Parts: sequence; C-alpha cells; structure tokens
Amino acid sequence: MSLLKTEMELLRRVPLFSEIDAGALRLLAYTSDPLTFEDGQTLFRMGDKGDAAYLIVTGEAEVSIPVAGDDDLPVARLSAGDIVGEIAMLCDVPRTATVRASGELQTLKIKKEPFIQLLRQYPEVALEMLRVLSERLHHTTAELVEARRS
Amino acid sequence: MRHAWRHTRPQQLWLVFVVLVSMPFYFLSLELPKRIVNGPITGEGFESPGDTAPAFRVSIDLPDWIREGELLLVPSLDLDRLGTLVYLCLLFLGFVLINGFFKFYISTYKGRLGERMLRRMRFDLLDRTLRFPLSRFRRIRSSEVATMVKDEVEPLGGFIGDAFVTPAMLLAQAATALVFILIQNFWLGTIAATIVGVQVLVIPRLRRRLLVLGRERQLTARELAGRMGEVVEGIAPIRTNDTSNWERAEIVSRLARIFFIRFDIYQWKFLVKFLNTLLAQVTPFFFYLLGGYFVIRGRLDIGQLVAVIAAYRDLPSPLKDLIDWDQQRLDVGVKWAQLIEQFDVADTLDPSLQALSAEAPGHISEGVTISGLTLRDELGSTLLDGAALSIAPGESIAAVGPPGAGGEHMAEALARLAEPAAGRILVDGRPLASLPESFTGRRFAYSEGSTFLPQSTLYDALVYGLKHAPLRSATSEDERGERRRRAEALAAGNPGHDVADDWIDYEAAGASGPDELFERVLEVLTVVDMADDVYRLGLRQRPADAHEEKADERLLAARRDFRERLESADAERFVEPFDPERYLDNASVLENLVFGIVDADALEGQPIEAHPYMADVLARTDLDAKLLEGGRSIAETLIELFGDLSPDNPLLESMDLMSPEEIEAYRDVLRRLDRGNGKAPEDEDRRALMRLSLGYVEPRHRLGLLDDNARRAILSAREAFRSRLPESLAEAVHFHRPDTVNSAASLQDNVVFGRVVDSFADAAERSGALLRETFDALGLTDLAIRSGLRFEIGSGGKRLSAAQRQKLTLARALLKRPDLLIANRPLTALDAAAQEATIQRVLGHLREIGEVRPAVFWVLAAPSHARWFDTIVSFEGGRVTETRTGRENGAVAQTVGKNDERRRA
Repeated sequence: MSLLKTEMELLRRVPLFSEIDAGALRLLAYTSDPLTFEDGQTLFRMGDKGDAAYLIVTGEAEVSIPVAGDDDLPVARLSAGDIVGEIAMLCDVPRTATVRASGELQTLKIKKEPFIQLLRQYPEVALEMLRVLSERLHHTTAELVEARRS
Repeated sequence: MRHAWRHTRPQQLWLVFVVLVSMPFYFLSLELPKRIVNGPITGEGFESPGDTAPAFRVSIDLPDWIREGELLLVPSLDLDRLGTLVYLCLLFLGFVLINGFFKFYISTYKGRLGERMLRRMRFDLLDRTLRFPLSRFRRIRSSEVATMVKDEVEPLGGFIGDAFVTPAMLLAQAATALVFILIQNFWLGTIAATIVGVQVLVIPRLRRRLLVLGRERQLTARELAGRMGEVVEGIAPIRTNDTSNWERAEIVSRLARIFFIRFDIYQWKFLVKFLNTLLAQVTPFFFYLLGGYFVIRGRLDIGQLVAVIAAYRDLPSPLKDLIDWDQQRLDVGVKWAQLIEQFDVADTLDPSLQALSAEAPGHISEGVTISGLTLRDELGSTLLDGAALSIAPGESIAAVGPPGAGGEHMAEALARLAEPAAGRILVDGRPLASLPESFTGRRFAYSEGSTFLPQSTLYDALVYGLKHAPLRSATSEDERGERRRRAEALAAGNPGHDVADDWIDYEAAGASGPDELFERVLEVLTVVDMADDVYRLGLRQRPADAHEEKADERLLAARRDFRERLESADAERFVEPFDPERYLDNASVLENLVFGIVDADALEGQPIEAHPYMADVLARTDLDAKLLEGGRSIAETLIELFGDLSPDNPLLESMDLMSPEEIEAYRDVLRRLDRGNGKAPEDEDRRALMRLSLGYVEPRHRLGLLDDNARRAILSAREAFRSRLPESLAEAVHFHRPDTVNSAASLQDNVVFGRVVDSFADAAERSGALLRETFDALGLTDLAIRSGLRFEIGSGGKRLSAAQRQKLTLARALLKRPDLLIANRPLTALDAAAQEATIQRVLGHLREIGEVRPAVFWVLAAPSHARWFDTIVSFEGGRVTETRTGRENGAVAQTVGKNDERRRA
C-alpha cells in the first residue's frame, strides 16, 4: 500500500520538484491520487487532452508514438521516480505520445487543478519549474544545433 | 353577491325558510321566563295553596276566516304551583334544545354551502388560468396567482354560506326580540329601537374606512407574496450580484407599508368596537331606570321587566353580527372585484377548445400550410415577416439560421405558443387557431430546450403527453366513497373526472397496456440516448422501490453472477467484497463499524456516531481511545498541510475529512488538548476528533493510521455493535448480509455487494461494464430501468442535468407519436456531434413507427445537421430566404438504414 510519506520522498527525487519546500510537496502528494495500472493498460493516448501528470511509484511504463500500420513505435521507457505528462498538463496541448504500463504499474496521478493552485500558492515552485524547463529547452536547442550540423 | 346567488339559490331559500320556521320557538323561549317568574315564582294565580292553574296555554288567535277559535300550540295542563314550575322549566329546556338544534342544522348546512362555493371558485380561477391568452403569462407572477387561489378566495367561500341566511336569521332574531319588548312595554321598546337604529346607522359608516384599508392590505400582501416568490426563484442573480441587501431593503419597505396599514386597521377597529359597546351598555341604564319606574308605578310587572332585560341581552349580539355581516359583505364584494379583475381577461380561450375528448382525433391528411405569417413581440417589433411554408405529411423540414432569425418563432406559432399578428396557418385547410386542443395536443408534439417539468417521477414526466382523458376508470373498492366524491364534485360545479383513473392513452403511443408502454418508453429513451442514464439512476434506487415479483431472489442470483464474472474476467481486485468477517479497506472506519446502511430518516437526522449506543459500543471495545488518538493525528496532519493556505484557495476543497471552515475550530481543539496535559478532553472536542477518524479511509488518505491491530479492534466492535443492537435502532440500521437483499441499499450495492477499488485505473468503468453484463444476462436491466423511471426528478426537474431534461422533453414528444413533431432547438445542452447523432436516430425512429409517418419541423442549432432532412428552410432577419431540398437526401436514407442494422446486430 502506498503511503503519503513514500510518495513524498519520490516526489522529492523528481528533478522538477527537488528544490521545493517539503510542506508544499506533502500537499501535492495528499491532493494526488494513487492509481494502479495493469500490464498493457494505457495511461493516456497521443492526442488526448492533458488533465494530469503521472509519477511512477513502482513498475515500468513504455512511451510510444503511433505510426502507420498497427504497431506503435516505442520511444522511451520510464521507471520509478520518473514523471510523465507534465508538459501537456501545464500548457493545455494534446498528449504528444502514448504511455502504457509494462507489467503492473503503480503511479501517483497529479491532477491539473491542485498543481496549478500549488504554483499560485508557492511562487518559488513556479520559478523552480521555470528553471528546469529552461534547462530542458536549452538542452533541446543544443541537440537541435548538433543535429543540423551533422 | 350576485355570483353567489346564481349558484346557490335553492339552498339559500331553503335556509331562509328553516330560519323562519325556527322563529316561533325563539319567541317562545323568550316568553317562558316571564311566565315562570310571574306564575309559580311570584305566586300569581296560586293565591291559596291547592290552587291549580292551566299551565302555559300557548295559543295563537287565528283570523276568523281560517278557523273558528284558537290554535293550541302547547297542550295545557292543570297543575299546582310546584308542578307548574317544574313543567314550565322543562318546557323552557325543551325550547332551548329545539333552538340549539336549529342553530346546529343551519350552521352545518351553510358551512357545507360555503365550502362548496370555495371549491367552485377555486376551480373557476384555475379554469380561467388554464385558458389565459399566452401574453397574460408574461405579465403575472406565479406566486401571486397561487396566493389568490389559495388564500384570498378563502374568506369569500366562507362568506357565501352566510350570504343570505345570516342576515335573515339575525334580522328575524332582532325583530322578534324587539317585537317581544314592544309587546311588554311600548316605551321600553321605543328606547331599544332608537338605540338599535343609531347603532345600525352610525357604526357601518365608521367602518367604511376599514374597508379601504382592508383592500390595501390585500393588495400589499399579494405583492409581498409575489416578491417572495421572485426572491426564491431568482436566488442565483441575488447571490451573484451581491444584491441580497437590496432585496432586504425592498422587502422591508413593503413590510413597513403593511405594518402601517395593519396598525391603522387596528386603531379603527377598536374605536368602532368601543363606540358599539358603549351604545349597547347605555340601554340597560334606561331599562333599569324607566323599567323600575314603571314597575313601581305598577304599569309593568317584574316578570315583564326581567323578560325585557333578558330579551335585550339577546338583542345586541344579533345586531353586532348583522353589522359585522354588512361589513363582511362590502369587504367580500371588494375582494371579489379585486380577484375577478385579475382573472377576467379578454381573449381567454373558448372553453370548447379545451373540451375533454376521449376519442382519438383523425390524422393530418393534407398537411400544414403557412402563408404570410407575421409575428410581433409585445413592443411591436417584427419577429417573423410574411413567412410562407407548407409541410406535407411525413416531410422532414430543417429550419436553419442564426438565433432570432425566425425559425424558432415559426416553431412557436406552429405550436400555438405565439399568436400571429397577420397571416394564416392552415391544418388540412382548417385554421390552426380554431382547432381544439384535443387535436393539436395529440397530433402535434412540441419540444424545446427549456420546457418546465413539474415535480414528478421520471415515468410520469414521460407519459405526461398521453394524459388527455380518463380512459379506464380505476377499480375502486369503496364504491360509496366514489359516488360521494363524484356527487360533491358536481355539486360544487367541478368536473367529475377522477385523477386516480388511468389517463394514459396507451393506443396513442402504439401500446395496448402498461407493459407494452414500457417497451415504447424504452424505445424512445434509446432514441434520445437516455436509456443508459435511466439505467444508472435505477442502479442507485433501493430495491424496495422495485415492486417486482421475486425481485429478492433475482438480485441474490445477480450478486452471485456478478462475482463469477469478476472472477472469470480476472477483475476481482476491482471490487472489494462486503464480508462480515473482514475489514473493508475502501470504506471508512464508520462504515466498517456499522457494516450496513443507516436510514437517516429513522434517526430523525441524528448521525449514528452521535447515538448513545454507538458511544457505548466504542467504550466497551476500548476503541474510543484509539479513535481519539487517530483523530488527533489526522487533525494535526491536515492543519499542517492546509492550515497556511489562504481561505479562498480551491485546494482546501480536497481536504475531504474536514471542511475549510472547520480548520480554526480544530486548531482550538488541538490547543486545548495540549494544554490539558493528557487529561480527558471535553465531550465536544472528543466528538470532533472522533468524527475525523470515523471518516478515515486508508487508501484514500494514506496517513498509515490503520494497522492490523486497529482493524481487528474495529471488527470486534462491528460484532459488538451488531449483536446487541437495541430495538430502537433496529428500524434504522440495515446490515449487509451475504445471503439477503439489503432493502436500504441501492440496487447497485446489492448486486456488486462490495466497494469499487478506485486506486485501480478504470476500475469503476470495468466493474460497471461487468455489472451491466450481469443485469443483461439475468434480465434485470428492465428492472433497473423501471426503478430508474421511478426516480423523482425534483421541482423543475432540477435533479436531472440540463441535457437529461432536454432529452426527456424530446422523448416525451416522440412517445405520443404525433403527426407533426416541432423541435425548437431541443438539445442545446448537448455537443454538436451528439445533437446530430440524436437527429439521425429521431428521424430513423419516425420513419419506422406506425402507419402514418410523422412530419418534422426542426429548428437546428447547427446548419450542418440539415443534411439529414428532406427540405431545408433558411431564415434570416425574420424572413424565409431560401427553401431547398436536402442535398444528400438519398444518401441519408441509406446511411441511416445501415446504422439501424448495426444497432440491431
């Protein structure tokens, strides 16, 4: 059984939340729902509306992109401590990939509304997120430049 | 008055006759005391002991031309003094009884007369309201009409009973008494008559002012009722605009006016009363003075004086009542004028248009033709300008155009909800306005987005459109009661129809009786995509509401079947079963303790945890200390998490166990606990903390408070609670038992018999699907839908969603299988895709039913939906701009056909 304490520890290990005050993290954990998926069950599909992010507590998940034909093209694997779906949740864009459980998967479903409220209540969380996202953008831009050169 | 006379003439005359008959007896009861005093008491005629006298010979000297001699009313007896006294007193008692009987008879008779009249008037007002022209409804406030029919009519009805008999009786009484006094002594009689004259002339004049005030009081009170109604119905804008204080001030100003009017009335009333009493009291003064003088002079004997004074004592009360009656007459006249002014409206519908008809009217054979139709609103702006359209039988027409372009107004005119300013609508060549509602109400069906739904069950709301006439009389066991009900209704001028009869026109819906009608209802519910909603509503109803044979057995079978399905679908972990021996993780501590359903009504709203028995059980099992400790740590955690949030933060709503307003209270509780240094907390604090732990659900709140020991303790408390449940709680607590149906739990809880484990993704959907399989396999789906049809939709249908209300209205229109379906943007609460799918299904359904294919006039919310119709009419700025055939007409029919096959398969 999942407990608030363990969930909080996991949240703290997520880079996005690492600098955030413990109280705020506990609040986030309390307002989120533990949700278990079976092997092969879908967390969300590409194109869905993004209303939540998922923190993986135990188990593994597969990120894939549907391609022509029936098969999906796997692009990444996620494991405990990874968070998925936070971008779509923040900026109201459709999901950019499909995520499925491989094996039994325990997650913490972080709902959009409490998350936005948390950002409002603790501006430092927003700043921290801004920092992490900027780093990611920087990283992506660097990769793009790299790709153009080659 | 005239109104009353017209309806109750024979009864009133009979009453007056009875009053007249009673008068001689009244006279005699006045006469007797005199004889008693003068005869046996003072000893007149019994000068020597042993004398006898003819006792109380009452006779009337008849005019010679009738009969010789006199008419004996009371036989005379020769008796001695004591005997005479007893005889006369007994006679007196007899007359008192006779007079009493007359009074009793007259009062009952006129009471019934008044009640009948009240009933007649109320019905009359309702009848008029039903026939008001539609424009009238825009100007009246519903609650004002309600108070007029309910309260204002009441004194009128009561008065009608008194209208003629009271003055007749009182006048006769007063005159008899006066005549009696006059006979005794002319002077005393004259004095009495003079003072009576003053009273009769002066007092009513003073009371005129009261009448004026009374009328004002009535008007202001009616307006107050209207405003109160508006406050209740308009609570949303009041709250959202912060105008509650304006409303308070507005109502207060009305209350002030009413206060001053009422106070004025009081002042006048008591002034008049004072004068009246003064006049009445002055008379005895004269009687004693003059009467005494006459007695001393020997012109009057004592018996006469006593009788005169006794007679006079009877005089003021009839007089006062007479004056009251006159006052009431004027008052009632004014009130009636007030009332009838509100209800006497020009252009009410001719009653023949609403005449009851049990015959099914003929079908529309040639179609509906609209020409030069012009509609204007109340201010005279043109809504529709010279529109023309013809609707052939079976034709489906789509009206497209932006809102307000004219299509919706044409739909209203077709439904006779808007009166044409110019132009004509002909149905089979006959003007629409001249057709009785027994035709339009059955051959036309109208569905719009905001139809008002009165409080009823879902089923009654659906079949409402079929209740035109009492078709089958209910078999009543109480035949005499039934006859009486009917006779009374007719005596009060009400129609004799019985609402308990079966009014549902099954044939019109294509059914032969209630069972087949259920099939039809299911059909239309499927067409409007509401069958699943009703099924789900049914799942939440109690099985006791499902009056089905062997319902219990079938539900238990379903419980087993559902369990098997869970096992074979490998979905057992989605539902945690109710097991009396196991702790239910997905339920609260309280639910685990009680392990059943608590009927809140049986406990009169008191929560079970506050019941002394529960406290007793917790104390006996030592659970209360644990719960207290748990409550404390829940309170600490919640306050730590949420205590610093600003009070308006929406996150506070997710606290669940505590409401945002309670945070401060719990902070205080914790503070007191700390200060108490381990001392037992106050009762109130205990209860507050216990409440937190009783609501605790481990997988939801995840504070790690429940270990195996705690679970075991709760289980033994469960056993203790169940085993010694006192009689007083037996009615209120319904335990879950694996082998019986729980009549207090919902259908769903009875079959699932467990808790859905929310922490598994899609657990609710997947177990719901399995549950549906169970219901389908065991033929219980109908039972669930029937239960769902018994769902109370609430006032205005407010317990349904807006979309459900719209679907319901459309389903109802379809159920009566009209010749013309007028749909006026009926499904605005649905998204465009769902609207289009429903349109397709409705058109497909109409093609399939009955021998006559209904025509459709559908005002669309989205122009793209028009492709499913035969004809498309475009509206713009109140004009018809284009009429064309549906482009994809041929293709449509095919697609729909295919869909149908797929659905059946």
